[in-house]
Amino acid sequence: MKKKVIGLIDGQSGNIGSINKAIKDIIKGRPYQLKIIKSHFNYKSFDKIILPGQGAYATLMSNLKKLKIIQPLKKYLENNSSYLGICVGMQILSDWGYEEKTTRGLGIISGDIKKFINKKLIIPHMGWNTVNLKKDDTIIANSFDKKDFYFVHSYIFQNIKKSDVLAFTLYGQKFPSIVKKGNIYGVQFHPEKSHKHGLNLIKNYILKS
Amino acid sequence: MLKTRIIPCLDVIKNKVVKGVNFKNIRVMGNAVEMAKYYSLSGADELCMLDINASYQNRKTFIKTVESIAKVINIPLTVGGGVSDLSDITDLLNAGADKVSINSAAVRNPKLIRQASLRHGSQCIVVAIDGKRHKDKMKVVIKGGREITKNELIAWAKKVQSLGAGEILMTSMDTDGVQNGFDSNMLKKVTSNVSIPVIASGGVGSLEHFYLGHLTKSTGLLAASVFHSRKYKIKTVKKYLSSKGVPVRL
Repeated sequence: MKKKVIGLIDGQSGNIGSINKAIKDIIKGRPYQLKIIKSHFNYKSFDKIILPGQGAYATLMSNLKKLKIIQPLKKYLENNSSYLGICVGMQILSDWGYEEKTTRGLGIISGDIKKFINKKLIIPHMGWNTVNLKKDDTIIANSFDKKDFYFVHSYIFQNIKKSDVLAFTLYGQKFPSIVKKGNIYGVQFHPEKSHKHGLNLIKNYILKS
Repeated sequence: MLKTRIIPCLDVIKNKVVKGVNFKNIRVMGNAVEMAKYYSLSGADELCMLDINASYQNRKTFIKTVESIAKVINIPLTVGGGVSDLSDITDLLNAGADKVSINSAAVRNPKLIRQASLRHGSQCIVVAIDGKRHKDKMKVVIKGGREITKNELIAWAKKVQSLGAGEILMTSMDTDGVQNGFDSNMLKKVTSNVSIPVIASGGVGSLEHFYLGHLTKSTGLLAASVFHSRKYKIKTVKKYLSSKGVPVRL
């Protein structure tokens, strides 16, 4: 039986250690293999790609550019192939990011990444907060309605189409915490840091999608 | 709604969690990896671990301990103690820390905060501030409170925020280790002058102290002894806070 190939992109934007370990634990004894993507890759040779990211939008985009990952990743996503973007790995699916400087994103899910509007908020939004499902999603999200996940971010997805928002979270305002378009998922929180619900979400993504 | 974080803190020498007042009468409380695992499973929202004796020889074992802990927990891990330059920060992040806490090195060289947050992102740079009252003023102290710096506490808190710190770990040396409660007055002064998250540290001895800590607008509440001594389970603290209307992750 041919093994499914999972690509984990190391965009040099934070530590991939915990997500790497989570994936390895999940696929142990199952017909999957994990490859770390650090440079240009053949987008046809992956069944799933996960991109975790921390830090700034502009930094991640420029790292991916330097590593020659942008072009194959765009092709992969335009093909509606299976993807899970975490935090900034979700944000760069948008058209534009406004963190530090205006940066063009991958343009897969229309919208912009802008700072929380409410000036009185403690920023970054750091800690555990609740995910509220807006729609059914039998693949990854259904069992996580009203569950808490770990967030750390100052920027949120704005001007996004309602149909691309799978779940929202409240922090001074409603903001999208899970986005979905076709086979492409993005989560604003860090499932790899969100204890059992987080690990189950990654598990669902890998095994069910 | 954002939950108030309950954060057990491990003071570590090599691979052992210890307790001691000002480095005297140091007692071993347990194995760091085992304790970290236990707290992660029993509902801690984050974990903090500090190398309290960061000598050259102890450091290697400590870093290995960070690696082992990062492998067995899946909640955020903040690591501090003995961080003096950018390469120390990189080493700890590579070992699996999610956030690195800088204390006296930031006081000696405030530029380090900016350099570190530009390189790794503000979200993983915590500045630990030790505060103490001195001649009617709140000052920043280093070396476990033995050295009073020229920095005024509130001015310093604002400065670390402007330099790019993502969070402040605020310990009052006036209340630390005494178990009479957090330093509400000092904490309120800090939280009302910065817009980044503040973790309250120093002085928890009872359930009510956690609630009073929450009232200071600190979004993280750190404690060591009450957890290590098994006086309270994390769940007990959270149930209590929840009954008082504080949002917690149960």
